[in-house]
Amino acid sequence: MLSRPGPRSPWLRNVRLTPQHRLLNHFITHPAEPIPPPAAPASSSPNPKPFTLAVKDNIATTSPNLPTTCASGILSRSYTSPIEATIIGQLRARGAVITGKTNLDEFGMGSHSIYSHYGPVTQDNPPETSAGGSSGGSAVAVANGEVELALGTDTGGSVRLPAAYTGIIGYKPSYGMISRYGVIPYANSLDTVGFLSRQIDPIKELIVGERGLWKEHDRNDPTSLTEAVRKRCAAQRKGYRSQQGQTTELKGLKFGIPLEYNIAELDLTIRDAWAAAAKRLQDVGARVVPVSLPTTKHALAAYYVIAPAEASSNLAKYDGIRYGVRDTDAPSDAAAGGVLYASTRGEGFGEEVKRRILLGSYTLSSEAMDNYFIKAQRVRRLVRRDFNRVFALDDPLQERVTFELSDLPEEVEMEDKWGPEEVDFLLCPTAPTLAPKLKEVMEKQPVDAYMNDVFTVPASLAGLPAISIPMKVTREGAAGLQLIGQYWDDARLLDVAGAVATELRT
Amino acid sequence: MARIPTAELSRYLLSGQLTRRGCLHLRRYSITSPIPQSRRSFSTSPTTPPSPEPAVVVPFRKQLKDQAKAAKLSGHASKKKIKKTDNQTVPGWDLTVGIEIHAQLNTPSKLFSPASTPSSGKDVIPPNTCVAPFDLAIPGSQPLFQPTTLIPAIRAALALNCQIQPISRFDRKHYFHWDQPSGYQITQYYHPFARSGSVTLYPRDGIAVEDGGKVEVGIKQVQMEQDTAKTLAQPNSTHYLDFNRVGVPLVEIITEACINRPATAAAFVRKVQILLRSVDACTSGLEQGGLRADVNVSVKKMGTKELGTRTEIKNLSSFKAVEDAIIAERDRQIRVLEAGGKIEGETRGWSLGATETRRLRGKEGEVDYRYMPDPDLGPVVIGEDLVQRLGGTMGALPDEEVEVLIIKYGLSERDAMALMLMEGRLEYFYGVLEELERMLGVEAVEGGEQRHAILVSNWCLHELGKLAEAENVIVGEGAVEEVDVTSQVPEQDLAAILFYLHQKKVTAKAAKDLLWDVFRGTISTGGVTEQIESQDLWYKEISEAEYIVIADEVIKGQEKVLQDFFKFKHGKSKAYPQGKLGFLVGKMMRAGPEQGKGMDPASAERVMRARIEEVYIPRLEGRE
Repeated sequence: MLSRPGPRSPWLRNVRLTPQHRLLNHFITHPAEPIPPPAAPASSSPNPKPFTLAVKDNIATTSPNLPTTCASGILSRSYTSPIEATIIGQLRARGAVITGKTNLDEFGMGSHSIYSHYGPVTQDNPPETSAGGSSGGSAVAVANGEVELALGTDTGGSVRLPAAYTGIIGYKPSYGMISRYGVIPYANSLDTVGFLSRQIDPIKELIVGERGLWKEHDRNDPTSLTEAVRKRCAAQRKGYRSQQGQTTELKGLKFGIPLEYNIAELDLTIRDAWAAAAKRLQDVGARVVPVSLPTTKHALAAYYVIAPAEASSNLAKYDGIRYGVRDTDAPSDAAAGGVLYASTRGEGFGEEVKRRILLGSYTLSSEAMDNYFIKAQRVRRLVRRDFNRVFALDDPLQERVTFELSDLPEEVEMEDKWGPEEVDFLLCPTAPTLAPKLKEVMEKQPVDAYMNDVFTVPASLAGLPAISIPMKVTREGAAGLQLIGQYWDDARLLDVAGAVATELRT
Repeated sequence: MARIPTAELSRYLLSGQLTRRGCLHLRRYSITSPIPQSRRSFSTSPTTPPSPEPAVVVPFRKQLKDQAKAAKLSGHASKKKIKKTDNQTVPGWDLTVGIEIHAQLNTPSKLFSPASTPSSGKDVIPPNTCVAPFDLAIPGSQPLFQPTTLIPAIRAALALNCQIQPISRFDRKHYFHWDQPSGYQITQYYHPFARSGSVTLYPRDGIAVEDGGKVEVGIKQVQMEQDTAKTLAQPNSTHYLDFNRVGVPLVEIITEACINRPATAAAFVRKVQILLRSVDACTSGLEQGGLRADVNVSVKKMGTKELGTRTEIKNLSSFKAVEDAIIAERDRQIRVLEAGGKIEGETRGWSLGATETRRLRGKEGEVDYRYMPDPDLGPVVIGEDLVQRLGGTMGALPDEEVEVLIIKYGLSERDAMALMLMEGRLEYFYGVLEELERMLGVEAVEGGEQRHAILVSNWCLHELGKLAEAENVIVGEGAVEEVDVTSQVPEQDLAAILFYLHQKKVTAKAAKDLLWDVFRGTISTGGVTEQIESQDLWYKEISEAEYIVIADEVIKGQEKVLQDFFKFKHGKSKAYPQGKLGFLVGKMMRAGPEQGKGMDPASAERVMRARIEEVYIPRLEGRE
């Protein structure tokens, strides 16, 4: 039975901050007392083992000590959500002790966690370095060992990129597996809840363990897969029934190296580490083959059309009338040439959010819609088709389609007359560079930061599961190796990522 | 009628502010548009901030005088006002009208949340009580499509002869207004759930004579969408918001631009209301605010092919307004074009009783709605089996129903249409009729016994109508909502009254008094017979001899009148002096005991006629 946490509680020791950590600014709300999980009814099975959890501050929590700010001036600490995110309830029922709400790029829009109403996040290993974004606060909390697990959200790489920069594990599940109810949307069709940890096992336990989250449909989230579909998808996959330990051998697995990911902007250090990792896998008996994802070069552009378009729509609700902060000094009428809340929105949103709202409003406008939004949606389909073409497993949510071999680039080797080899997972860097210094990031053009998402965006557009694991580099700093799996192949992805991580560590 | 405090009266007269207390709150559904701007410019003064210049105070009497003067000046136009039926066409010009109708669907839940709709119960719902987190756009909440809302929506579409689409989708339509919490309305812009319907209008629906025997109006599409919150204006530029109505499902019905006469446009809106009501798809009619119409109007020179630039008139809240606004807008456009001007594509407004449409905003002020598929909502898949089932259980549609009323029950076209149009009145008519037929042991048949059915219809429409009118006078003229008389007169009681009337067991006068007693509750349900007993209202006709005595009494001193009958008898005048006979019968009825009690006018007439023929004319002949 859990009582109020006393000073000797095991998880409380973890959350004590060392002085230098206070400068990292990775928490927005950090109550003195963590929020313990609810007591389970007496009759049921024994309480689950408690673990500490940090929550990205765009996931709704109802405790009065935990406001939900989205790192935005328009909500700020004055907003306590009346609804609790489904994932919060699910994790608390599994023993989560919430230590606080972590800093992020406002509404998840950014790649370095610098666009926050509460100031930028930094990591100190190496010092004054970008923690990545937008889930930078959560990544730093995990990297510092302050919490065992942290929740992030991943729209175009917001969990995987900070995980790579801080040298931890960042996992983005298949779209539709984890409920988004109570997760404050940036771009609904891309947003997923993500998990950050230093080990894979706690994440694996949560997703495919005995009380695996993969089974739980949420009727409050219309994009949460129904139970029947979950079962159907799982029946076509391995790893959902055997829940104990390592089950997948690396030997015999096929990893694809996307040719189009070898871009000009790719840092040589990263490129060498990527090649070394591939070599390592070959050495233990895995096959590593080049594959082609021809739409890759358009994917980033498509992402930066679709995500801001959805964002401009989602953020229209923040007007300061029903909740949040309202600028009451400004004239409140159309007579002033604006609308009731023009000033509230102008004051409340930060620059990057405003930039994306404007971008999205433009691409949805009647004259630009066909050239941008519609085209981007087409690209999105092609991205998904690219993935379906290289994976050996079929997409359980779509009819099987046949592909024209003539569409493939010449470098792709044919396995037989039917086409090139099909792979189990894709292997690529998480980001094209090492974590930059914060100062550098601040001096760059905002759009330059968009480049960091080039390897993470395709899996988001296709809704595929992806994970970033630490990858050794020759220089100081951390880098991530990304594994992408076919839809709903999460169980095997987590399993194989664990094996690869172990292999790369030695 | 209640006295209105002077302060309130002056607020209304001088600054156009209406108090929301009293009868006005009865209006469940104030007329609002999904377009914010129009409403802001519509509203009289509460939303506009005080003007910076000091307001010039004009004495009230001077204001009235000025108004009268202005009215006189424009007077000639109104004096020469053309009758509407003669104003359906303008020589040399073609009119084209398209209509959009919004109707509130009759559903227990909102479109995207399980919260109940404020109109689902009978009671008055306190503000902001039917609200789920999604309705307030609480961050992180998501839309949950409520499949039951499809039932009235599909029925509405089937009643409009539409093709139900197997797959439809929801889109977000963006605009900022405080009554739209999420900053967008969820609607079906790209893929509506129903397309290609039609409504056939006949002369009895009130179409223009020029349109001949029937008009077919094409329905382009029917889409489902969310309603907005209700704004309650308070003094001092304050607005209260009631979110109960936010997210209530609406259907928007969009016609092809194929209507060419103003009266036909109004007839179409009326017909749509009847159709939706007959399938129980919408909550209330146009006049009660459950329906609202926007019209697109354009004119072109006769013989040219291309349609002219169209303007849109928003928020028409009565059938009369639809017709009047179209006529006014057509005439305005023709005036502009004849003066060599150009029509701007713009949105215009109309207020009741106006003679001109007003410009609300032009194209440059037009909002770009930035339609986007809602990324949270999957497609709506409607199975053929559901459509079949709903189509099979819809019952008779209004056109068949009207035929039945006219042919089987012998009602006039006018009365049949009136029964159809009044909410719940047709069901009431059938209820009373069934009860009466059971008591009489007869059934109405085509070309046969129909007298009792016509009697029921007359009473359901006209006698009950008188109750409502009288009641409205008592409540006060401002009452917007008609008193629901049918609920206060149980079917069985009206049937009992009509049974005795039909059997001539009570007089028409006594029957009317009984109806009042039932209406006021002085007779408890089922107590009609008892009341007749206790008040001794049975009709006991006086004897033939008594009639004769009264007739003789009345005819004394009426030599002049008798001369007319004499002239007719002797061929000196062509027509029988029926009027004179009526005059004498009237005198008889008044001369009889207790204002004609126990007298039947028909018997009185028969006796009077006989006395003149048999006694008085021979007397006159004898004199000659």
